[in-house]
Amino acid sequence: MTRRTRLPRTALVGGAVLAMALSMSACGGDDSASGDDKIHVLVYGDATNKVEKQLIATFNKTSKVKAVLDTIPGADYQAKLQTIINSKQAPDVFFNWGGGSIKPFVDAGLLLPLDDFIAKDPGLKDNFLPSVFNSTVVDGKAYGIPMRGTQPVLMFNNSKVLKDNGLTAPKTWDELVNAAKVLKSKGVTPIALGGGDKWPTLMWFEYLYDRVAGPELFQSALKGDKDVWASDDSKAALNKLKELIDAGAFGTNFDSVKFTDGGSPTLLATGKAAFELMGSWEYSTLQDSQPDFAKSDLDYSAFPAVDGGKGAPTDIVGNTNNFYSVLKKTKHPEAVAEFLKLQYSDQFVKSQLSIGNLPTTTNTEAQLDGAASPDYARFQYDLVKNAPSFQLSWDQAYPQTAGTALTTAVQQFFNGGIDVDGFIKAMQALPTS
Amino acid sequence: MTTTATAVSADSKGVERSGRRPGRSREGAGRPGFAWAAPAAVFFGLFAIVPLALVVALSFASWNGLSDPEFAGLDNWKKLFDDPIMIKSLWLSLLLTLLGVVVQTPLSILLGVWAAGHQRNRAVLSAIYFVPLLLSATAVSVLWRAVLDPNFGVPAHAKWLFGDGNLFGMQSSAIGVLIFVSTWQFTPLHTLIYQGAARSVPRVLYQAAEIDGAGRYRQFFHITLPQLRNSVVTSMILMVVGGLTTFDTVLILTQGGPGTDTTISAYYMYQKAFKSFDYGAASAIGVMLILVATIISLVMVRLTGYDKMNSTMEGM
Repeated sequence: MTRRTRLPRTALVGGAVLAMALSMSACGGDDSASGDDKIHVLVYGDATNKVEKQLIATFNKTSKVKAVLDTIPGADYQAKLQTIINSKQAPDVFFNWGGGSIKPFVDAGLLLPLDDFIAKDPGLKDNFLPSVFNSTVVDGKAYGIPMRGTQPVLMFNNSKVLKDNGLTAPKTWDELVNAAKVLKSKGVTPIALGGGDKWPTLMWFEYLYDRVAGPELFQSALKGDKDVWASDDSKAALNKLKELIDAGAFGTNFDSVKFTDGGSPTLLATGKAAFELMGSWEYSTLQDSQPDFAKSDLDYSAFPAVDGGKGAPTDIVGNTNNFYSVLKKTKHPEAVAEFLKLQYSDQFVKSQLSIGNLPTTTNTEAQLDGAASPDYARFQYDLVKNAPSFQLSWDQAYPQTAGTALTTAVQQFFNGGIDVDGFIKAMQALPTS
Repeated sequence: MTTTATAVSADSKGVERSGRRPGRSREGAGRPGFAWAAPAAVFFGLFAIVPLALVVALSFASWNGLSDPEFAGLDNWKKLFDDPIMIKSLWLSLLLTLLGVVVQTPLSILLGVWAAGHQRNRAVLSAIYFVPLLLSATAVSVLWRAVLDPNFGVPAHAKWLFGDGNLFGMQSSAIGVLIFVSTWQFTPLHTLIYQGAARSVPRVLYQAAEIDGAGRYRQFFHITLPQLRNSVVTSMILMVVGGLTTFDTVLILTQGGPGTDTTISAYYMYQKAFKSFDYGAASAIGVMLILVATIISLVMVRLTGYDKMNSTMEGM
């Protein structure tokens, strides 16, 4: 081979490699989702998917346009959804938490307001509990249909520990503070807290602010009124919380404990702690990991009332539910509307109840006896039904850009890193749009 | 000496083989042309240069991943330098890196030199010792998180040492855990580097030293250590680059907490990109990290004379 022939050969090899690399990098883009005669339903991947699979099978029996279920494993859901939602692979219908979790999509003009669907079939709204349905209303328009179970935050307790120390589930804040003092003197950590995860700590703020200042304070803050954080009510709520922390109610190592690796539920189950404030999933978590304890000594109550506070003692906080929202560019809106109707069907309610979820449809009540734990299901259902306000978790209600700063401030307030004024300043700095 | 000898003979065989290769022009014998480098160059361009250019471009834009990126001028950069968490995160990255180098270097030199011996027990022990290297950082972090649980892990049984076990609730102990875990995981890699280097030190040097009456410690400090010089630089550059880009251990062990006390730059970049969906700010942090890492590597290479590629065999 002479020098003359070398260059073309070099170019050839380089070109071939380039073509190969390009075709490799492009193969992620071939799988177009909305180009075919199907609707794609994207859901958070977990154990509840078996209900979603059943419903889609039911839907496909009668529908000409077939539905396909796509799942993304839980921890990656939000990030991956955000990556694909404005691309060719965008689904037609997707799972979300309502509130701030869909606001960026609404702002970017990607979502379909469901008001037309509701006008044609009022059941899409009327068959759901109003306090839950409302958490997908953005700028006066409905953008979602509830599609799983509600998850109010409850005070769980180890009834054996309480009985051994002559205590009962606290109905008022003062009873809770008193119980904490008694338990601490007996060497029991009064309240288990998975502070390492940060969001369990946030639950204490959500309830205290509601009880002391009423739900309006947070709603104003969310609308951009930053002054409310510096109000007397806000300070009162923080001081009450500080009192409880300083009394040693959470022990000293809560920031090293997590809920997600089973740390804090195990504290409760083994009697090393007496209470845990947690979403209603605590029950099924403990049924899995500590079945004996869940059967015999696990008890629950509503969050205590605060004397002189503005919020109703029946107000609740938590994840109101999960929702299906619809993309504007779906090619089969009629099929999607039909699919959404399944979310209040008797079959849906029955399947959700059988796996321990509590749907928020009006026909749920009649079927509560078929739940995995009828008493627990009824307690929760009444709680949600009778709540004048159901505050969506702050980290879901705020825009995503605020999430990290919010949970950081919450953790720092609990471990003494910042004081009342520091917390107020941090909250005022959060972006609200 | 045996290893060096076999390496040399293998090399010469290789040269012979390529020399005899049919169809090669005489002028380019044994010297690969550009075509040989083309695949690597193309891949490097596609997967390193192009993304890098995009990240630099993105650092001057505002983008939430949904609408089109908008040109934002120097906004991200201005915010970056006004952001106390960013400044703190950079210091934390440097601190973690420095601590990593300081702790791991002596440890891995000693282990590597020890493991370079030929006794049978050393081979077995070394094999066991290299296990952490095979585990993913994620698995390692999950494992240590469980072992260090304050109520059910080791701290609960050693209260005299750990107190209330609040290791992840204080900055000093959280950093301590991060250093400990990365040392546990990465010392084997650096030990491997030093083991290889120590084995290639010519045995004649030790024989000569012994005749002159030098003891084990003198041999170590006057022969082994100087001969390992290039390996020290290699290993330290790996540690610095690895330290500055540490991410998974922080994600799983501390999540940047307590507060922002272990929010190192790489983790802060992840938070900006995939929690806050502020890709512009995240890109600016990324570019900053690249610059810092490059500067540090260059300085290290310069200061150590590594760029001259001097052989430690000089004077032999």
